[in-house]
Amino acid sequence: MFRTDLPLGGDSASRFVPWLMAIMVFLGTLAVSGVNVFDSILAGWSRSVTGTVTVQIPPLPAQDDVSANLDRAERAVRALEDVGAVESVRLLSGEELDRLLEPWLGTATPSADLPLPALIDVTLADRSEDAVAAIAAAVTEIVPDAVIDDHRRWFDRLVGLTEAFRLLAIGITTVIVAALALTVIYATRASLAEFRDVIDVLHFVGARDRYIAGQFAKRTLETAAKGAAGGFVLGLVAVLIVSWLAGSVESGFLPDVSLGLRFWLSVPAVAVIAALLAMTTAYITVLNTLRAML
Amino acid sequence: MNAVGLHYGEGPDVLSQIELTLNAGSFHFLTGPSGAGKTSLLSLLYLARRPTHGSVHLFGTDTTSAARGALPAIRRQVGVVFQDFRLLDHLSAFDNVALPLRVAGVAETQIKDNVTELLSWVGLSDAMDALPPSLSGGQQQRVAIARAVVNRPRLILADEPTGNVDDAIAMRLMQLFIELNKLGASVIIATHNQLLVSQFGFPRLALSDGRVEELPPLSAVPGAPSPAGGTSDV
Repeated sequence: MFRTDLPLGGDSASRFVPWLMAIMVFLGTLAVSGVNVFDSILAGWSRSVTGTVTVQIPPLPAQDDVSANLDRAERAVRALEDVGAVESVRLLSGEELDRLLEPWLGTATPSADLPLPALIDVTLADRSEDAVAAIAAAVTEIVPDAVIDDHRRWFDRLVGLTEAFRLLAIGITTVIVAALALTVIYATRASLAEFRDVIDVLHFVGARDRYIAGQFAKRTLETAAKGAAGGFVLGLVAVLIVSWLAGSVESGFLPDVSLGLRFWLSVPAVAVIAALLAMTTAYITVLNTLRAML
Repeated sequence: MNAVGLHYGEGPDVLSQIELTLNAGSFHFLTGPSGAGKTSLLSLLYLARRPTHGSVHLFGTDTTSAARGALPAIRRQVGVVFQDFRLLDHLSAFDNVALPLRVAGVAETQIKDNVTELLSWVGLSDAMDALPPSLSGGQQQRVAIARAVVNRPRLILADEPTGNVDDAIAMRLMQLFIELNKLGASVIIATHNQLLVSQFGFPRLALSDGRVEELPPLSAVPGAPSPAGGTSDV
């Protein structure tokens, strides 16, 4: 790819750097993909729960009359419809409850046979805390033991979990960068020792340190790019397989995870940045080492 | 060179109190027995090492105290033919000769013209793409000489440059050095070859016991080329 005055192949950098790059880029691809996926999940859940409130109307104790429970739920619905901050109110049907329970109970046990609360899905026109308080007041006036869930606590925990994963990914990336830089420094120094005769000749014919460092940098970029490409392909295949497996699981547990534009921009960037980092590290290492020579 | 001394590690002085001034455009043979310090003296001039004491001035710059960054510009004005050639085995003969031009940033088209012409001149037009290990000793020596002179240096240092070639080639290479000398380059040729020294009537720098002594030509052969001379210091 590049014309170089240095011998290609057989030295420490040529042997180690491609493998190192492949492993690091593979791990980096997984870390960045993980962050992307969690952000995607968070955004999806945020869209679906923000501005909604779920009202639970518990079944009456020792009450076998289904119509009494239904009556309590319908009165709560009518009370909610009168609240100004409410955009729409919908009482979940028995079929919808069955679908919600399906991941846990399967299809054999219909919800009608269980003492389950009635669920009312409320969409807010006004997303303020005052609106949630008005809903709670209106419902508890009719059904004192009603439970109002604005999903905030659950969502806050989810955000906390996502942030923890993001920090973990940043930690992994930092370790990857440090390991990459240290290994490139080691490999470059080993190559400098191996090519000492070549470097001497380059100096004698008038080469500046920047010229020699540039030769090493080009060479490192070439070997690093090969490894980075391999690591990128392996990482991408792994992510696509996981994504396909996640998509094939027909379960309410897993949200829809799509690999969006941000994924397709950030994952190749990992490989490119890693290769450029290796090149820059080699350049600086050579310059620093040559300063100790005449 | 002012009061230049050199020793390796804790060893004895290889060179001691060397006082030497070379005029620009001068031509000298550097003679002396094996181990006298000829290669060490040359290495101080091509800036492979600094003297243990004293100072070396080249082209008006005190190389002993010069910053590292200033050395490449000086080295580009010095062409060196090493005794062991020091060719880069992974590069072709063409690329070895092109090296001084490439590090100086010369355009590739100009490099191609200059290197091709020079390799033809030293009789290696058929071996331009050959790697040094596939060349004979004499061919490698010619590649080394071509590399040393390709960028028209102001000072040419050659360590036994005719040691591996037959007489006809040796004469041709000496002719090349003389031509470059006539164009203004100073030349120092380290050699054991007394026949060569006597055949060409150039003054001698005789090294003995770590000291150098300037001597007149051994004996000029009638009809042999004469030194170009010079006036200003190298």
